[in-house]
Amino acid sequence: MTKNIIETVKIKTIIDECDGVKTFLFERNGTVVPKPGQFVMIWVPGVDEIPMSISSYNENGEWAITVKNVGDCTNSIHDLKVGDYIGVRGPLGNFFKIPQDTNKNIFLIGGGIGMVPLRFLASELIKMGNKFKFIEGAKVKDEILFANEFLEYQQEDLEFHFCTDDGSYGKKGFTTDLFEHIIESLSVEELKDSVVFTCGPEIMMHKILQICIEKKVEMYASLERIMRCGCGLCGLCVLDPLGLLVCNDGPVFNSHMLTEMEDFSKFERDFSGKKNSL
Amino acid sequence: MNSLVLNISELKLNSPLILASGILGVSYSTMKRLVDVGLGAITTKSIGPKPRKGYKNPSIVEVYPGTFLNSVGLGNPGIDNFMTEIKEIKKFKFPLIVSVFGDSIESYIKVALKAEQAGANAIEINISCPHAEVSSIGIDKNLTFSIVKSMKEELKVPVFVKLNPNVTNLGEIALAAQKGGADAVVAINTLAAMKVDINTKRPILSHGSGGLSGEAIHPIAVKKVYDLYKILEIPIIGCGGASNWQDVIEFILVGASAVQIGTILHQGLDAITDIINGLKKFLKDSEYSSISELKGLAHEFKTQEVPDFD
Repeated sequence: MTKNIIETVKIKTIIDECDGVKTFLFERNGTVVPKPGQFVMIWVPGVDEIPMSISSYNENGEWAITVKNVGDCTNSIHDLKVGDYIGVRGPLGNFFKIPQDTNKNIFLIGGGIGMVPLRFLASELIKMGNKFKFIEGAKVKDEILFANEFLEYQQEDLEFHFCTDDGSYGKKGFTTDLFEHIIESLSVEELKDSVVFTCGPEIMMHKILQICIEKKVEMYASLERIMRCGCGLCGLCVLDPLGLLVCNDGPVFNSHMLTEMEDFSKFERDFSGKKNSL
Repeated sequence: MNSLVLNISELKLNSPLILASGILGVSYSTMKRLVDVGLGAITTKSIGPKPRKGYKNPSIVEVYPGTFLNSVGLGNPGIDNFMTEIKEIKKFKFPLIVSVFGDSIESYIKVALKAEQAGANAIEINISCPHAEVSSIGIDKNLTFSIVKSMKEELKVPVFVKLNPNVTNLGEIALAAQKGGADAVVAINTLAAMKVDINTKRPILSHGSGGLSGEAIHPIAVKKVYDLYKILEIPIIGCGGASNWQDVIEFILVGASAVQIGTILHQGLDAITDIINGLKKFLKDSEYSSISELKGLAHEFKTQEVPDFD
């Protein structure tokens, strides 16, 4: 197990996705294959090292991360050019388990930059022959991610629903409203045969959890916390009171765990280990 | 009867495994989980007088399989914030060792007294973190003696001293700790080390260098414990790269009374279950009723002092 050794790789391609969001592609040595939901630790030499969801992977060993410019480190990532080095550790953590049964009603619900791991999941689901319904939400039209890519899929049994807070793209409102509306017409059996994979703001995922509990729908959410190691040593990404670690026990957690997590949508720890409100 | 039960000073441990300081010792909930899967006691992350974020990332990376380099820089929430965590931990009734540091003898004592008041069962003095300023105490026998003596005078709970291996003569520092009244020593802290990325030509850790832990340092730690056992009267807690039950037995054979584990947890909590099961099976198969019966047995063998000539 050497997944925590930093490998420095050159950035091969940079794609402007939308306002303040870029995708960076790079090739790695070795044969390790990441799964949707897993993350990598990205080192920007001289700046910082932060966890990042894996955005895509192909058989040629090409990996991608999609980065929103929200702070010092992500700002430095946005300044990188093709040919610059970044350090990569991983893949780390658990992953979204793709249902064996291709007839399941699969919902992917993503908010903002939370779309990243779901994009990787969507491409794997298509590869495995699973149909799904995708609900994507963003604040405004300019922050809607991967829409063109999704609309190119053009396969039967795939549905893409978009919403924005201001109605500038898709429906006006939240992903949770759209989700509630879509499952309204489902029978108890259909709900029982449904599964939700979600990633986005925790307040959104918390609302989705409430809906899923009420409707008795299986649900998995991908969480994010500050971490040093990414591999079960520093303890900063702990979720009380279960003592689960986002890095090693997650980042994907099921609805039973989420229900018992007092920290979910409420608290995170900073680099000192002190607990603060989200 | 549980073959793994033992005592260190006043502490009764249900297993010889203790969580090493600096690993996962942040939240009451993780500590409880670790005890549930078999740890006999917990040592918290080193706690200082005030909140401290530590060094930037990269601060923990693997350098060889199972061997890690870190420079966390004593990041901790500060004793006042941590008191609430200690009180939460105390609800679970397992032995809690609070690791403390300060910027003067007085501040060490202040932090330790607060920890004791909140319910710590023992204090581990961190005089040895190789990537922070406190390491200067751990390389000086007089400073080590003074700090241990001063803390023993103020505290009621047992005091353990974590030794800095980055010294010329570890024995004399350990003897100074014993003379100061230490109830046990923990040997060893991480070894000063460094890693440079050849593509970017940069040191990888943000601090430049740090401390090495994990599998690669285990044989070094074994040698240190072996040497200390010959000169110390107080118990030794072995620490350094123990990754399986065999490593734990090895520590005990060279003289450790208990063993701290840390880095192996990058493999998850199952590693603890595996070690506990392995220890129990080994003791049963070799007909020992208690793990303490193995303590120091490696010293019964005469080793060759002078090489053969012709």
